[in-house]
Amino acid sequence: MAAHNLKHALFCAIVTLVIAYPILGFNLTSSGTNIVLEGAKTHTIGLVLLAAVAVFLFQLFRDNITGLLGKAPALNPLANRQPMEQSKRLKLESTLLTLIIVGALFWPFFVSRGSVDLATLVLIYVMLALGLNVVVGLAGLLDLGYVAFYAVGAYTFALLSQYYGVSFWFALPLGALLAALFGLVLGFPVLRLRGDYLAIVTLGFGEIIRILLNNMTNLTGGPNGIGGIPDPTLFGMEFGRRVKEEGNTSFHETFGIAYSSEHKIIFLYLIALVLAVITALVIRRLMRMPVGRAWEALREDEIAARSLGLSRTAVKLSAFTIGAFFAGFAGTVFASKQGFISPESFVFLESAIILAIVVLGGMGSQMGVILAAIAVTILPELAREFSEYRMLIFGAAMVLMMVWRPQGLLPMRRIHIELKAQE
Amino acid sequence: METTVKKLVTAVSASVALMGAGHAAAEIKIGVAGPITGQVAQYGDMQFSGARMAIEQINAAGGVNGEMLEAVEVDDACDPKQAVTVANRLVNEGVRFVVGHLCSSSTQPASDIYEDEGILMVTPASTSPDITERGYELVFRTIGLDSVQGPVAGNYIASLNPERVAIVHDKQQYGEGIATAVRDTLKDAGVEVALFEGITAGDMDFSSLVTKLKQADVDYVYYGGYDPELGLILRQSRQAELDAVFMGPEGVGNKNINTIAGDAAEGLLVTLPPAFDKKAENQELVKAFQDKGEDPSGPFVLTSYTAVQLIAEGIEQAESTDPFDVAASLRSNSFNTPIGTVEYDEKGDMKSFEFVVYEWHSDGSKTPVN
Amino acid sequence: MQDLLYFFQQLINGLTIGSTYALIAIGYTMVYGIIGMINFAHGEIYMIGAYTALIAITGLAALGIAWLPVILIVALVCAMIVSSSMGWAVERVAYRPVRGRHRLIPLISAIGMSIFLQNYVHLAQGSRNIGFPALIEGGFRFGSADSFQTSISYMQITIFITTLVCMTLLSLFISRSRIGRACRAVSQDLGMANLLGIDTNRIISATFIIGAALAAVAGLLLGMYYGSIDPLFGFIAGLKAFTAAVLGGIGSIPGAMLGGLILGVAESMTSGYLSGEYKDVVSFGLLILILLFKPTGLLGKPEVEKI
Repeated sequence: MAAHNLKHALFCAIVTLVIAYPILGFNLTSSGTNIVLEGAKTHTIGLVLLAAVAVFLFQLFRDNITGLLGKAPALNPLANRQPMEQSKRLKLESTLLTLIIVGALFWPFFVSRGSVDLATLVLIYVMLALGLNVVVGLAGLLDLGYVAFYAVGAYTFALLSQYYGVSFWFALPLGALLAALFGLVLGFPVLRLRGDYLAIVTLGFGEIIRILLNNMTNLTGGPNGIGGIPDPTLFGMEFGRRVKEEGNTSFHETFGIAYSSEHKIIFLYLIALVLAVITALVIRRLMRMPVGRAWEALREDEIAARSLGLSRTAVKLSAFTIGAFFAGFAGTVFASKQGFISPESFVFLESAIILAIVVLGGMGSQMGVILAAIAVTILPELAREFSEYRMLIFGAAMVLMMVWRPQGLLPMRRIHIELKAQE
Repeated sequence: METTVKKLVTAVSASVALMGAGHAAAEIKIGVAGPITGQVAQYGDMQFSGARMAIEQINAAGGVNGEMLEAVEVDDACDPKQAVTVANRLVNEGVRFVVGHLCSSSTQPASDIYEDEGILMVTPASTSPDITERGYELVFRTIGLDSVQGPVAGNYIASLNPERVAIVHDKQQYGEGIATAVRDTLKDAGVEVALFEGITAGDMDFSSLVTKLKQADVDYVYYGGYDPELGLILRQSRQAELDAVFMGPEGVGNKNINTIAGDAAEGLLVTLPPAFDKKAENQELVKAFQDKGEDPSGPFVLTSYTAVQLIAEGIEQAESTDPFDVAASLRSNSFNTPIGTVEYDEKGDMKSFEFVVYEWHSDGSKTPVN
Repeated sequence: MQDLLYFFQQLINGLTIGSTYALIAIGYTMVYGIIGMINFAHGEIYMIGAYTALIAITGLAALGIAWLPVILIVALVCAMIVSSSMGWAVERVAYRPVRGRHRLIPLISAIGMSIFLQNYVHLAQGSRNIGFPALIEGGFRFGSADSFQTSISYMQITIFITTLVCMTLLSLFISRSRIGRACRAVSQDLGMANLLGIDTNRIISATFIIGAALAAVAGLLLGMYYGSIDPLFGFIAGLKAFTAAVLGGIGSIPGAMLGGLILGVAESMTSGYLSGEYKDVVSFGLLILILLFKPTGLLGKPEVEKI
């Protein structure tokens, strides 16, 4: 055993060297017009060697280490506790939710505008993730092109406001409905594809939408994007320093208070908050309705669900359309917040990040998804000092999460009736 | 579980609140916003290097009206979404002057916020005409516009009496904008534009495009975009023995194109701002950069240096740190800077920004053609 | 005549690109065939292969070695070793611990790995495009000298031949060797293969190593053919190759070849006769269309739903 361990450990150490040394140890730099090879700094090479030694030692004593870890008290102190009673848990959960929402309503008045703005972005991601959660988490359809519907929502508002001067409040339902229509039209032919085929087709669809937006310069401004998207108004009151549209009044003049740009930011945040709460409540409701049950049934066992008389297409299509609808919602808010949109905001990486939020949060779990949306948006902002390493850490965190806690931060708990075991 | 949730929520909201709290100081803060990460980080490096040098030198000389400058560097990764986030963060930090952003698509949404918040912005790199088209009071730039550079290139090509010209661009704001300007100039001059086509930025295979250019039998090709793609197009054209003369904007005029295209870069025409680092009066500054181990020849290093200098001199002349006063002083005075004498028009564009046509050589050097 | 020559030139361009797509697609298709997951990080393995090859070539040039076969072979071997090790390590670290879990878990892990590797190379080597020496230059041309000429460069011929050789060797390996047979067994039924005494972990590792080695070959070839590399180019190429694999029927090696060629030709014809801007729209559109009529790809076996 020891000999085998030694061999394996040596092998792993050598592999570490092979994958790290050439890339980290040599730098391709240009000197004038030629490419030359430079040795990396001594400490980089030292680190590579150290990593190899660490891997060697870990593999050599792996059994001992894992043994020790096994003996150590469980990392999660709640792991072995008795599950709480159903009714008590539900009550606690809803109190908690109410508290959070009330807190979220008043919180922006006490913090800086940067935080409020960031919180708005978080809420947009919450909406997106909740919507994708229906498609991926509940219905089990892997959608890698979700960002397309987000783009449809955003561009609907941008185009309508540019060409017809439509305001935010009219564009909001229109954007969402149009995104839903796209979901329906796309979903109809592709939903008979299975699993990973669906993934690649949706990915392709996402790319097609982005490329079309980029190429139809006459309509969408192409890569120049669309600017000057209006902010939402409150009963015809604008939040800008000057009133942009005729017939509107300005918020600060109406109430006779001094102009502050924070009003606008906070107002947008509150809109996003209300929409996110609506999204969460609607989906929560849907989950408990027959259609929600059907989604989960189809995810768990397609054949069994069909033999029970569920229409596969109708169920999948409903999930797809509803997911797209909320993406359209989020897109409209995003366009309004940015004031300027261009196709580069709707790339594949965005889809991947939304998917990562859903999975990190725990597929199907709403609380988890909300937490994950907060974590994924805010942690990179906090880690700006390491901004160079931000994406590196993000990638590594995704892998580590999947390895150590694949059920997500807060796994979904199904409402079920438990049979007491006979003593 | 509930306690975990609570803890997490409090931790997160606490950290968000902390983030917002910037520390107060008596210094004048200058926000420098550009890509530190992402695909165009190399251009961001130029911007930061120029701005840092200017701030260092101004502080070494006693600051502005006795107050020191302090840089607040933020990363927008050239992503419009992050640009808005960092713009709001700069507002938080109490920054009133910003040097940035780099990409036009980031500058545009960020400038909305700056204008609203009364922050003065000088972009050292964004060339899109849209940015100064909106009648903003606090938006300036230290670089020429696509709508100036395009006609320079177009007129030069037209002066060579070409038979057929092809125009290719990378479907990005910068590339397409400038390519369109070139096309319009050529059409006005009565030159036949045989092909006007976009490619995908980041693509590597241009064999089909090159074949098409060969088939169209063009003698000049204008490319709107950056060096990575043009380098490959040049090289693949050379391999396919397409004998057309290529021309590009300042985005292609750096030595990186030689490492990709090799000999095929010989004879490439480039419109560039005059080589500021070659000017006699800038040699002291160039040496300061070289002493720090930095290269001042990048297109955005000295424009970024100038942006900081303009803000500092604007404050001095206005005798106020109020951005509106500074903006007024920038508009009414003329400034002597490493990129020449700077005067601003109403929109915030420089009254004159010259572009020169250079011929590029395979060893990375360039000679002016006219 | 002119038009015909033009058509042939675009066809040759398309087939060249297509065959390299096929080489990369093998990695996707083999991994999918065996453990049913999309290895999103495969494009990055290919990118790392290209970087290693460039490092080796530059290093040899610095040592003053200029004999072409030596340079090519050393670069190829280095790239294959590093890529294969990377493939092995990625499987070990990111995929083995999550094998057998819900379908989405390995996929997210793979996307995370892809982001990680991209940024790993980005941090180590910078985000800039780096020129790649051509090494093999020149070619044949057809048609009269005063009008349009169709040309095939030696580089294109090298790419065709290498792809063909690799595919043949791989098919032989899969159909004849012991490991190949085990591979097929594992892909049919992992549990059963395990029961029959096949070390499935080893076979899965082998799959990753073979896929990565072929990706390294593609990395070297494409680096030379295109002329530059950057940390992001693996992702785009990977996406295309994956599309090719699905188009041809994922899990099938001849399918990957066919899918790659079709995709390559479709792309170059779109650029040639329509506009380069719509290249990707056409290739993804083609994929969607084919999947609608043949949901398992061109050469994929129809899946039997197991109850």
